[in-house]
Amino acid sequence: MSLLEVNKLNSYYGDSHILFDIDLRVEAHEVVALIGRNGAGKSTTLKSLMGMVTPRSGSVKLDGEDLAGRKAHVIAQKGMQLVPEERRVFGSLDVEENIVLARLTAENAWPIERIYELFPRLAERKRSRGTDLSGGEQQMLAIARALVRDPKIVLLDEPFEGLAPVIVQDLMRACRKLVEEGQTIVLVEQNIAATLALADRAYIVNNGHVVHEGPTKEIKAQPDLLQRYLGV
Amino acid sequence: MATKNSAFRVWGPDVLTALGLVVAPFVLPHLGFTQDTMSRILIYGLFGIGFDILFGFTGLLSFGQSAFFGTGGFVAAYLLTQTGMTSVILALLIGTVFAAAVGVLVGLIALRRTGIYFAMITVAIAEVFFFLENSPLSAFTGGENGLPGVPSPTFYLGFTTIHIGSGWTMYGFLAVCFLIGMVIARRIVLSPVGLVLVAIRDNPLRAAAVGHNVHSYKLLAFVIAAAYGGLAGGLLGVLQGYMPPDAFAFDTSGQLVMQTVIGGLGTLFGPLVGAAVWLYLRDFLQSTVNLGAAWKLALGVVFVLLVVFLRRGIIGGVVDLVRLSRGKPAPVEEVEESIVVPAAAAVPTGDIEPVEHGEPILVATGLTKRYGGLLANSDIDFTVRRGELRGIIGPNGAGKSTFFKMLTCEVPPSAGKIVFEDKDITGFSVTEVCQLGLTKSYQVNQLFSRLTVRDNLNIAAAAQRRGPFKMDVLRRVGHIDGIEETVAETLDLVNLTKRADNLVSELAYGEKRRLEIGLALATSPKLLLLDEPLAGMSPRERVETVKLLKSIRQGRTMIVIDHDMDAIFELTESITVLQEGRVLVEGTPQEIKNNPTVQEAYLGGVHEE
Amino acid sequence: MDFNWPLLVSQMFNGLVLGALLALISSGLTIIYGTLGVLNLAHGAMFMMGGYAGWLTYQYTNSYILAVAGGSLFVLVVGIIMERVVIRHFYDRPDEDQILVTFGLGIVFVELVRWGFGSLSLTVPSPSWASGITSLGFMIYPTYRLAVVAIVAVALLILYVVLYRTRLGMIVRAGIEDAGMVDALGINVYRVFMIVFGIGAMAAGFAGIVNAPVAPITPDIGTDILVQTFVVVVIGGVGSFPGAILGGLIAGEILSLTSMVNPSYSQVMLFAVMTLVLVVSPYGLLGAKGRD
Repeated sequence: MSLLEVNKLNSYYGDSHILFDIDLRVEAHEVVALIGRNGAGKSTTLKSLMGMVTPRSGSVKLDGEDLAGRKAHVIAQKGMQLVPEERRVFGSLDVEENIVLARLTAENAWPIERIYELFPRLAERKRSRGTDLSGGEQQMLAIARALVRDPKIVLLDEPFEGLAPVIVQDLMRACRKLVEEGQTIVLVEQNIAATLALADRAYIVNNGHVVHEGPTKEIKAQPDLLQRYLGV
Repeated sequence: MATKNSAFRVWGPDVLTALGLVVAPFVLPHLGFTQDTMSRILIYGLFGIGFDILFGFTGLLSFGQSAFFGTGGFVAAYLLTQTGMTSVILALLIGTVFAAAVGVLVGLIALRRTGIYFAMITVAIAEVFFFLENSPLSAFTGGENGLPGVPSPTFYLGFTTIHIGSGWTMYGFLAVCFLIGMVIARRIVLSPVGLVLVAIRDNPLRAAAVGHNVHSYKLLAFVIAAAYGGLAGGLLGVLQGYMPPDAFAFDTSGQLVMQTVIGGLGTLFGPLVGAAVWLYLRDFLQSTVNLGAAWKLALGVVFVLLVVFLRRGIIGGVVDLVRLSRGKPAPVEEVEESIVVPAAAAVPTGDIEPVEHGEPILVATGLTKRYGGLLANSDIDFTVRRGELRGIIGPNGAGKSTFFKMLTCEVPPSAGKIVFEDKDITGFSVTEVCQLGLTKSYQVNQLFSRLTVRDNLNIAAAAQRRGPFKMDVLRRVGHIDGIEETVAETLDLVNLTKRADNLVSELAYGEKRRLEIGLALATSPKLLLLDEPLAGMSPRERVETVKLLKSIRQGRTMIVIDHDMDAIFELTESITVLQEGRVLVEGTPQEIKNNPTVQEAYLGGVHEE
Repeated sequence: MDFNWPLLVSQMFNGLVLGALLALISSGLTIIYGTLGVLNLAHGAMFMMGGYAGWLTYQYTNSYILAVAGGSLFVLVVGIIMERVVIRHFYDRPDEDQILVTFGLGIVFVELVRWGFGSLSLTVPSPSWASGITSLGFMIYPTYRLAVVAIVAVALLILYVVLYRTRLGMIVRAGIEDAGMVDALGINVYRVFMIVFGIGAMAAGFAGIVNAPVAPITPDIGTDILVQTFVVVVIGGVGSFPGAILGGLIAGEILSLTSMVNPSYSQVMLFAVMTLVLVVSPYGLLGAKGRD
């Protein structure tokens, strides 16, 4: 049994049918990527897994338990965590408060020191308000909030978007460390290089459908595949 | 709200109202209604007509109507008791006009905000007027005592004199006033103004985007409500022979709101029904059931229950029951319907014949947009020629949507200029540019969801024909020059002719998407901007939509943004590629496909690391 | 014109008393709106019910302290039940529906109290440790009113501490900003909403019973307060706790000082200031969010 099993997932925004019968599977300790063009439905998939968009049909089984249609806080308590595309850091709270809030309902919450070890930058800025953080720092904080809950799966939605290459390197380092420690990750990212470097397997999503699945090594070796679904 | 021109639909309700008013004095007293109660029901019914136009039709919830009720009432009463004026009708008219004028002033303040703020401000207004009446202006209003001695009208008709007394003649006089008020209100509601008001209630964003000056219409609705309130107030003084200070009380506004919701919003008759229920139950609960002062508690509970469970009120509930008994509405069409593209417009897929392009229709220079420290678009030069079908693409973070929003004038540029047909439109509003011929269709459907397909298109077409604001309250929608042709054409173009009289809620998603494009088309745009027209579509719907877009080309210039590369490449003749807020390259689909820098932009260094 | 200094100072103090009360009540309203997005038109009724529940408690206990506790706790419970049973089902409905249902509930509460207690005004005496008058050197002033300022200041301080120094407050502040994200971090936002509504209502109820010795309570005192609260919230900025305090104090002083010139003009003055603020700064003096 896979850690995460998604079957025939269909999601809508109002009347607009965004995801068509999505099937996914994620094994424990894997890093799985969802790649595809903008508007393909990758973000919607993550939001549907997290319960921030309620799927109209299909199942989302985490450790065998179907969570589709449950409220987001229930899904979070079951061990799935989303780092949203917009980061959504609480601007009026400071860094430490953001992390403390995230820990509140987690059973095996990480000690805060462990977060600061992983992201020393956050330790330096622990009393800064969310609004005063740079883009990269906000991204770190958003990831930190997810990790501090000791999640079974972390869903990363475009973590490298809009960040300077130097910051991307920093974050990649942190991500690699997480992968080494065995964290299961589902990654949505436009930066193909970073994605293929981190992920074991990838699903290619196009117009709301899964059109290809396979190990990233193979995908790297098929440039026309990438060109077809990601390029022009 | 269909605008079918059958005489029965137009005049029937007025005739029935007149009949009902004539019959009522013979029927209702047997049910326990006194003549005084019936007169009051008419006054509140009239008061509520204006409020229903404001809230039921335009969606503006005001708790301040007592301000106008009192103003109209006290101006009329003052004229009749403190000055030498003898004509009751004249005094009532002056009171009404005065209330309307006050409505303009108050509206200008209150309508600066919407929704919750608006409601709060109207509450404050009601209280202020109450205090004004009670103290500073008490010389005119009699303060706590009100103004006694208001006379009832006398009509000198040459051959006879009708003196309105306090019995059934008063009822007759009020019934005539109510009938006139209702007839006028129905004309307003059936007019293009009425249609725009309903559009504003349903989707103010789209109403503005298809070219209506939403603020002016809201103010008009506000003034109409004030006028009806003023007249009703004046009539109250005449009925009672005395103008009471509690006309200005917040309670009066609150009671009006409750009665209208109980009776049914958006029906014009709701307030009358609600007033009847209210006043009848008040008498009934107080005397028969012996609840005493707890009648208001009972009515309050009824009101809350209705808001929770039967939002459309009594009339709405009855209408729903009738619809249910008539049988289920037409089932929503299957998504996999077969679409017949109008034969005349069918264009073979694949090849797009080179069209002779004219002069530039849209020239943007140096367009830049800054959000705080973030530079979304930087110094973009962009030109589209008349008759072109241009696509805009770009990888994530390219700034496409910001750029698009600047073109549609939803967002003002931080720097740069946009010239449309030789006119500088930089900083114009969506309403203004739509009137000039630049319209957008939305990624997420922005329809008038409670109306029919035909009415949706009427709203869009009406703006083009009437301009941003026109007070043609006595016209009928169907009588606007050329509107029926425009709507029929548009229905044909988007293949919705068979569904013209269905409600939006009865449409399938693909049909709604076609209506979305239809709304933009109905404004007769010279330049049509399409924001992700294929969003949320199944593969089959995509194919059909591309066909549709090709078929609507003639006589129009189009710019399309979408993520569906296959569709963009098939549809457009030239493509602008954005990256990181700037223009990367422009060219034909072939050129773009083979351009390595474009591939690089999308695949972003696959071979690095 | 001879300037009546003692009267001026006395009115300034009155303004402070009124302002403090308005600040507290408005804080409740603004926190509810900021977190839940609901305009609670029953807020005035909460103020009124706090007074009545407190009065009732006083009849049985003869203790001011218990009366204050009783009044506040009663309204807390009413607020929680109201959110749980009614308001919760309205989050997806249009704003106007929310306004209508809270308006209706407000009327129901007022009429219930009228039914149970009649329309005559009731009084609660000021506690023995704060009755009589105090000499402030240049003038004398009712002791209880001074006490009210102190009591309300303490209440606002407690509210501040809860909001800014406790876990719950942190959650509420985060929820005002982004309720969805709070939910995604494993915290049941709906329970938070319930608590916030209760606390917001309680603030009004507390003010209601504390105000009772100053002004006798009737079923209708809530309506006037409601309107003034709206004005305060518009001036201070919807959703802003500091804004409610600032707006409350400003409103209190305006009402008090202008009534020196002409009592009937004070309400109008307040409205004029509200209009001015709306024109100059549409989101209020300290408001930031555009929930409009």
